[in-house]
Amino acid sequence: MASYIVRRVIGIIPTLLIIAVVGFVVMELPAGDYVTRYIAELEASGQTGVREQAATLRRRYNLDEPAYLRFVKWIGRFVQGDFGESFIYNKPVKDLIGKRLMMTLVLSLFAFILSWGIGIPLGIYSATHQYSRLDNLFTVIAFLGLGLPAFLIALFLLVLGWSVTGEALTSLFSSGFEMAPWSLAKVLDLLKHIWIPVLAVVFTGTAWVVRVMRGNLLDELRVNYVQAARAKGIPERVVIWKHAVRNALHPLVMALGGTLAWLMSGFPIVAQVLSLPTIGPLYIEATLQQDVFLGGTILILISILLVVGNLLADIALVWLDPRIRYE
Amino acid sequence: MGVATDIGATAPGLEAFQERVAALSVRQLMWLRYRRNRLAIIGGVFLLIMYLSALFAGFLAPYGVRTTHDKYPAASPNSIRFLDAEGKFHLRPFVYGLKAEIDPQTFLKTYTPITDEIYPVKFFAKGVPYKLLGLIDTDIHLFGVDEPGKLFLLGTDRNGRDLFSRILYGAQVSLSVGLVGVMLSLVVGSFVGVMSGFYGGVVDNVVQRVIEVLTSFPQIPLWLALASAVPANWSPIKVYLGISIVLSIVGWGGLARQVRGMVLSLRETDYVMAARYANCSDLRIIVRHLLPNTLSHVLVIATMAIPGMILGETALSFLGLGIRPPMTSWGVLLSEAQHVRVFLQQTWLLTPAIFVLAAIVSFNFVGDGARDAADPFAAE
Repeated sequence: MASYIVRRVIGIIPTLLIIAVVGFVVMELPAGDYVTRYIAELEASGQTGVREQAATLRRRYNLDEPAYLRFVKWIGRFVQGDFGESFIYNKPVKDLIGKRLMMTLVLSLFAFILSWGIGIPLGIYSATHQYSRLDNLFTVIAFLGLGLPAFLIALFLLVLGWSVTGEALTSLFSSGFEMAPWSLAKVLDLLKHIWIPVLAVVFTGTAWVVRVMRGNLLDELRVNYVQAARAKGIPERVVIWKHAVRNALHPLVMALGGTLAWLMSGFPIVAQVLSLPTIGPLYIEATLQQDVFLGGTILILISILLVVGNLLADIALVWLDPRIRYE
Repeated sequence: MGVATDIGATAPGLEAFQERVAALSVRQLMWLRYRRNRLAIIGGVFLLIMYLSALFAGFLAPYGVRTTHDKYPAASPNSIRFLDAEGKFHLRPFVYGLKAEIDPQTFLKTYTPITDEIYPVKFFAKGVPYKLLGLIDTDIHLFGVDEPGKLFLLGTDRNGRDLFSRILYGAQVSLSVGLVGVMLSLVVGSFVGVMSGFYGGVVDNVVQRVIEVLTSFPQIPLWLALASAVPANWSPIKVYLGISIVLSIVGWGGLARQVRGMVLSLRETDYVMAARYANCSDLRIIVRHLLPNTLSHVLVIATMAIPGMILGETALSFLGLGIRPPMTSWGVLLSEAQHVRVFLQQTWLLTPAIFVLAAIVSFNFVGDGARDAADPFAAE
């Protein structure tokens, strides 16, 4: 087991390197660079004489150096924890991400626990009571959750919230409370706002978990050891929970690999639509303005988490399922 | 052949039925299995309706995609009625005329129906000229009202363009981008997967590495980054193709992996070995033996990938990174409702979302049914 883990860990290092390169390239792909956009913006707002400053600006941001040189310098500092400075905010990328990381993780974790906490029991119920009324109801709801993108659900919930309260419930706090010290009123205000993103994300997440859990458990219940266990006289409850469910969970463990990355990427489009203070809108803004260091760092960090998460999930699966042989 | 006949007489007709079943081709068996799934049939019918509507968008839409009604920006839906203000039932549906006034509290233009002005809905009415199926010049629409009456089934946007007509035209882009993207994934993915599985060795290793790196990137952030690389000054058609390519880039890796797995197992079958000994060229083995056996599974995987592509295009266009105006798609229509103030007051602008939902759910049903039907010999 230990040698398997060591082998896998060594194996992902070249992958991580390639990810860094590809991530950098992808952020550099759009024509022009940050300075072109910055100048275009200034000119659009009416300022003149900015084009001459392009050269100075480029030198300041080191954008006049060839790409590979910038990449090597950046990577060298990246592995030491210095992610470069954002063009847009002129602050270290590490600080920008760090400030939003807590909020992102809290929201994502909350949504994740709710989705899986509700989804797995519902999926198990659906499979054990196949075609019952509740199962059909859950199936319809699941199809809605899978069919509607989360950001559209968020929009609908905003309309709903507005029709009930008369306020546009974007972001996490109403304008007065954001800087205010914590108080009961602030907590209530937070609750008033937070149910929209949570509900939108949990709805889609639960739908997926329910469908997958239901499908997996149905497949497991068809395998002959279930019939053998029943024939032996084992109570149905034990057959289902101790045997079938434990095996049906394996594909879900594999899916858990992506969760680590998901926790950090924080449902970007929903966050953008609702103006949440998470990493998602930061990434979108960086991508649109070609802030290579900010956007590249976020993209590469999330990818690293994806690779690491999949590795952890693979190890967990090998540990859980004795049928899998180490390659 | 059939049920044990030693027990006694079988049900009349059962033997005949089983004879018929034994003689059916695999394709017919698949269709029979698919037909049993009611949801899949409903989904299929819905999709057929949507695609036909998109094809005949010019005919079905009362107005053109860019027709602006200058005097009616942000009008709420002006619907078809049968009962007029006095309670009289009209056999012929009609709409009321609209009067624009400025609301004293919000300073917004509101529209009240004028119950005196009745504009009957005409069928096969003359309207904005367009090209039917892109070929035939005509100006006959399925239904419409005479000017100055306005038929805004789903309201107008802030430029005064009829939303219902724009949704029909938008369907052309939204429903086709998924198909084009999936076809690209399919072609590239199957080709790479077959090569990788059939030849193995170095080719296989390199391909697997590439796919591993590609799938290590999170889907939505990668789409966002790649979509922003599509230059804004390209023509709408080029942007359309660019977006299809972006959408398919994330998908082909998974498909290639599945095809490779299937080819790896098919490679060892007897008939492939026999074909090799018969001195068949590699190409012939691939095309004649391997590909047809992977085809049904590949098509199912592709069908199940389409909803993701439709969602991707909608999300990208919503953020302004996908299809660019003047081309319309459902995502572009929704992006016009992006600002909170706007869609809170003009809620009808969110109706394209319902069509997105219908398309995706229908594709999910069809994909589920296809997946169950694709292996007609699997146990129930």
